Amino acid sequence: MFLRKIYIILFTGILLLVKPSFGQLHCGTVDIVPNTTVNELLTFDSFSQYQGGIIINSVARIRVRVTDQAVPDPLCSWHLYMIVDNNPGAGTPVNEWEELTQYGNGLNINPPINSLEIRVRNGCQTSPIDGVFQTFTNHGDIIDIIAQMILITPAGSCAPNVNGPGDYLTNYNEYNFDIDIRVKPSFQFNPGIYQLNVKFHLEENP
Amino acid sequence: MRKFKVYATALFIGAFATANAQLIDEKDVTITMDLQPVLQLEMTTPNQLEFVFDEINEYYSGITQYGATILKVSSTVSWDLYAVGRSTGTNGPTFWDQQIDYGNNNPNAIANLPLSLVELRQNQVNNGAGAALGAFADYSAQFSPATTPSGQNSLYVNAGTNTPPTTNDKYIGGHAGTSGVAGQDFLPGGSYLTQTGTTSDYYYSIDYRILPSLPAIFPMAFDATGLVPQDLVTVNGAGAYAEPGVYTMYVQYILLEDQ
Repeated sequence: MFLRKIYIILFTGILLLVKPSFGQLHCGTVDIVPNTTVNELLTFDSFSQYQGGIIINSVARIRVRVTDQAVPDPLCSWHLYMIVDNNPGAGTPVNEWEELTQYGNGLNINPPINSLEIRVRNGCQTSPIDGVFQTFTNHGDIIDIIAQMILITPAGSCAPNVNGPGDYLTNYNEYNFDIDIRVKPSFQFNPGIYQLNVKFHLEENP
Repeated sequence: MRKFKVYATALFIGAFATANAQLIDEKDVTITMDLQPVLQLEMTTPNQLEFVFDEINEYYSGITQYGATILKVSSTVSWDLYAVGRSTGTNGPTFWDQQIDYGNNNPNAIANLPLSLVELRQNQVNNGAGAALGAFADYSAQFSPATTPSGQNSLYVNAGTNTPPTTNDKYIGGHAGTSGVAGQDFLPGGSYLTQTGTTSDYYYSIDYRILPSLPAIFPMAFDATGLVPQDLVTVNGAGAYAEPGVYTMYVQYILLEDQ
């Protein structure tokens, strides 16, 4: 009886060890290359910067690589979106940038999330929002770059919503997304240092 | 043994059920924004404004210098703007500095001329003074006639310091207080560069007037509230008059974040 319990425990342990941490449905791999974090500092210290805003083109490049499994599955496709995070755990109001420090008396308002504009573009204009600045409103808001769709548009078509297997090396204009940001602060915002995080999420379609 | 098989089967099913999760990858872009406060007061004015009284009519009617100072504001924060009269303190912190005196030092000849004898007039009403409590919130009133003394344009002075005026005193733009309501006690951030039309809350043309009167008692000198006369007779008694001589002082314009 005691030996049986030992077997059961060992068996369970082995199963947990081999339990796959990343599953697969239809694709072999799904990667953003590279997927390291980008940090960008926008310093507004002159009136012309406040008036005209600061734009940074290609603050990041989202390079997608999606491969088939060993035996290709015709249902392999992917979607890509961005989601905004203002660290609400620190007490940040849902629609504002996270305040790191503040200058002055703080009698005005902190910058709202929608003061950040973000634009996605690539050579084939595969995203429906290509070339148009978008804004988030609240923490957790999602903007689709390539939406989750049933219809699969294969690589090489240079058409909207390319979402089949492929990569930025062979189809750069479809699998590379240049990310531009623009901030045009109002004169009503409290001076200080503020932060936002935008997460780009690539996932194979179920 | 049967229990063991059931348990093992359940574990297998549970283990393979996790294979339904999709492949995912993510990348973060963190944006930090450093909003540094910018307050710019651009001033166009002569280095020295001279008021030379050598004609009787100038004593009676005073000398006015129109548009002698142009003030242009650019600010990224809510702001207040005020003027304050100051001197080096040779004759005291609230008096003009006497550089030289003419005449024979008659006991009625007063060398201590109040800084508040200078009158200012701004071309644009102060639209950020809704919460002001004093008789005169700004310097936008027309200069009063020589025969009707008034403190509505007399320069703000605070014991020789540059301490901001109170709610009872005069500001050029904005006012004392921190209500957080635009127009009550501050003017919002902005710049004269983006304004249209003939007037702007970010652009002020300042006229100066000094009216000695005869005898030279400077009847337009009043305290900070504009209600208490500071002319030479009121302060020094009947018979007093300004000692002839050369006097200097300066007007300090201060732009600061609303407070």
